[in-house]
Amino acid sequence: MKRSELFALLIVLIVLLGLPAGLFGYQVWRLQPAATGVRIVEIVARVPEQGGFSPDRLRLQAGETVRLRISSPDVVHGLTIPGLGVNVDEIYPGKVVEVDVTPDKSGRYAFACTRWCGVDHWRMRGVIEVTGTAGAPLPAEPPPLFQQLGIDLDAVPHAAHITPARQPSASKGAGLNVALPAEVSDPARRLILSPVDAFQRLRDDPVNAGLSDDDVWNLVAWAWLKDAQPEALARAETLYARDCAACHGPDGKGGGPAGKDLPGMQKMDPAMPKGPANFTDAGTLLAASDVLLQGKILRGGMGTGMPEFGSLYTDEEMWALVAYLRSFLFKR
Amino acid sequence: MAVALALLAPLPAVGAPPQERHIAISARRFGFEPGTVRVNRGDTVVISLESVDVVHGLYLDGYRVSTKAEPGQPGEVRFVADRDGAFHFRCAVPCGNLHPFMIGKLVVGPNLTWLRAVAASLLATAGALVVFWRA
Amino acid sequence: MRWAISDVPWVNRLLRGRWLQWGITVFTLAVFVVVILTGLFGTPAGNHNFGIVYVWLVWWALLKLVLVPFLGRSWCSVCPIPAPGDWLQRRTMITARPGGKLYTIATKLFRKVGSVGARPWPRLLRNIWPQNLSFLAVALFSALILTSPLATALILLGFILVSLLVSLFFERRAFCRYLCPIGGFVGVYSQIAPVAVRVKDPAVCASHTDKTCYIGSDAGYGCPYSNLLQKLETNTYCSMCGECLRTCNRDNIAFYVRGPGADLLNTRGRRLDEAFNGLMMLGAAFIYSVVLIGPDSWLKVTARAVGTPAWFVYAAALLAFDMLAVPGLFWLCVRLGQALAGKPKAVAGQVAARIRKGDSLFADYATALVPLGLAIWIAFTLSFTMTNLSYAWPALSDPFGWGWNLFGTADMAWTPYLSGMIPYLQVPVLLVGLILAVALALRTAHQHQQPSTAALPVSAFCALAVVGLLTLYMA
Repeated sequence: MKRSELFALLIVLIVLLGLPAGLFGYQVWRLQPAATGVRIVEIVARVPEQGGFSPDRLRLQAGETVRLRISSPDVVHGLTIPGLGVNVDEIYPGKVVEVDVTPDKSGRYAFACTRWCGVDHWRMRGVIEVTGTAGAPLPAEPPPLFQQLGIDLDAVPHAAHITPARQPSASKGAGLNVALPAEVSDPARRLILSPVDAFQRLRDDPVNAGLSDDDVWNLVAWAWLKDAQPEALARAETLYARDCAACHGPDGKGGGPAGKDLPGMQKMDPAMPKGPANFTDAGTLLAASDVLLQGKILRGGMGTGMPEFGSLYTDEEMWALVAYLRSFLFKR
Repeated sequence: MAVALALLAPLPAVGAPPQERHIAISARRFGFEPGTVRVNRGDTVVISLESVDVVHGLYLDGYRVSTKAEPGQPGEVRFVADRDGAFHFRCAVPCGNLHPFMIGKLVVGPNLTWLRAVAASLLATAGALVVFWRA
Repeated sequence: MRWAISDVPWVNRLLRGRWLQWGITVFTLAVFVVVILTGLFGTPAGNHNFGIVYVWLVWWALLKLVLVPFLGRSWCSVCPIPAPGDWLQRRTMITARPGGKLYTIATKLFRKVGSVGARPWPRLLRNIWPQNLSFLAVALFSALILTSPLATALILLGFILVSLLVSLFFERRAFCRYLCPIGGFVGVYSQIAPVAVRVKDPAVCASHTDKTCYIGSDAGYGCPYSNLLQKLETNTYCSMCGECLRTCNRDNIAFYVRGPGADLLNTRGRRLDEAFNGLMMLGAAFIYSVVLIGPDSWLKVTARAVGTPAWFVYAAALLAFDMLAVPGLFWLCVRLGQALAGKPKAVAGQVAARIRKGDSLFADYATALVPLGLAIWIAFTLSFTMTNLSYAWPALSDPFGWGWNLFGTADMAWTPYLSGMIPYLQVPVLLVGLILAVALALRTAHQHQQPSTAALPVSAFCALAVVGLLTLYMA
């Protein structure tokens, strides 16, 4: 064979054999622990109908640094591992996000998708189990408050027997300069009180006999909103937009697109409202205590389609959310 | 000649007086609802984009404004429709396999661009017939 | 009006040499390998997959906007799909074999020693009907193919395997000439191109008995597309590969730069299969514009849901529209033209006889659809490639979507190009296509001794097509 033919054949063989070898070889080299120094774990995020997170259970060693390589083949997803401080806002289809985690305490850490990726987005969760003895294990969580108090989250809600005629305003309530009784003004004691019960308590107090009903509601609004920190409310607003608004609506009225056709709706007690809660409905919201609301957020709706957020939110975040929910009815 | 005239001659700007229009567009895989939006030239257009399923976006050709939305977090674009014609709007955030073809249309009336193009086509046909006609 | 660019010495050296063409082919083959690998193993997200982006955006835009209108069928001379088959048939890549012999397995099996190739392509299939059907088949699945890297890779792999198999048994580039769906319409539209490979002086050919352009010689191989240069009048089956330039021992072949569309000036004796190709491509452009570019999401999703009952309804509608409605409407226009011309109605037997003889009025009028169809396809291509071409940069740095960044462009954001300008590009192209189409319709009437009125219905058909497309895109 002439030399030029040999040369040409060599080039073609490089293209047909060398190119694939080079491409795959490069990828293998990139992913070697030796090259990167850390163990690499690939997570693929798919729409829940196609499997959600794969894998959705990870086993890590306490103290070990692991590089998570997260990719999506279909839509935009997000990833949060609250217990490990991981917050990936956007997993763009076709791109790979790398984040290193080094868990130091053993325990179970929940992770979840944070960008709406379909009807079952709220089910797109997983768990990381961290074993090993480096550092003390996570302390056991105390039972949630609603459980300690024996409150039945699923009881049919009774409507508030009286609702405000105008939207109560916390600033107006503050301006009234009334000393609130301890059970209304102390945050720890207010938790078990529903706003309408607080209203009745203040209304019945002869000290407030000179105030109009609207003013008493203003006092209630001030009581509920006076202890909320601005940063906590800002965090709650972010969480609400990210996780709640899809079903409950950005306006809180319960008409969000993801809240239609929820699977559990048909099976529910006919007395229950058919759809996500409407936070602007004074009748139900004012009859619910903060601990009841927090319990619902923490535990979820037992088949109604309301997800549980106890594994993802800290206690502070849940109480901040409850305060934020109050602001749908109470003006600041 | 006539074709050039049809395409370029300034026509009087007829049409309704400009107003502010609020248009709600809902995005789902893989289309927009409504798929075609009609406004008048000079209108101030406020498009609020709501997504029903996943993260979507909206990019408007020609006006080059864009926004994105997912369930619970609507987006908005606001612009003055000072350019006449039809402008496609497309999904700006990858939302699945048919994403590149998730397309809608904004028509800014009285859509002289289309009228001119059609007139030019008819004139071009007539012109070609005249030029190449043999009895 | 033509100028022989191959008379320029350095151009002649380039065209006769084999390195340039081989070099470009190896490059396209390398790209093809990456397309297949990324399609099979890369991210299913089409926007960031090298396979989808470089085939359906970059290559398609290049083909429709640059190569076909200006360089005719020259893509085929550097296409990677027939290349391995060619090399196996020739047993060489860069040199010529004595006598230009080709080998196929069939040569061994059927002992046709000394012949150029082995099994000739079946007579019945020596037309572009298989290419028309294969294009329709691809069109049926296009909503899936264009959006699924895996489907793209599998279909291209299928093409190269079929091409290889065909080269092992049949002579020359039978796949390209008779089977490839791209080759079908690229060939028909390349008649517009301002380039052509033709004989310089037909009288020289008349006295030349060796016919080395067809048979081959020590300097090169016979035309891979089975063209006899003496009879070559249109670009339809010429990929401008230059073998004839190398083999002609009378130096009677030249590469010409000429006025565009010269091939269409003779509207007589046109083939029915090519006419149908023009009609079918026209219909396909409308189908794609309605389904893919239109606002109806249910239609798009159905078009992609291959195998579902709704998809079968869609497929039936597509086929009925493209194979029956559009050709039927065109046929009515031709008949109406005949009626306007006052010609007596032809008897069915006479019509069939005329078609066999190659004298079909229907096929001849379809010449007008060549510039019209190409203009419409250019307009359609502009509407989706310019918007998404910016994906080419990230796809280059991260072809598989595995998080690479080979050239630093992996994070470049999507930016539509020429966003508001597209209609201003589409309209002039469509107008030029329309004017040329009407001119050709009139020419067809005159060359058939018909009065000009006979061309009116076909002209109306062309005008309707353009106005229809403008309304789809701009109203």
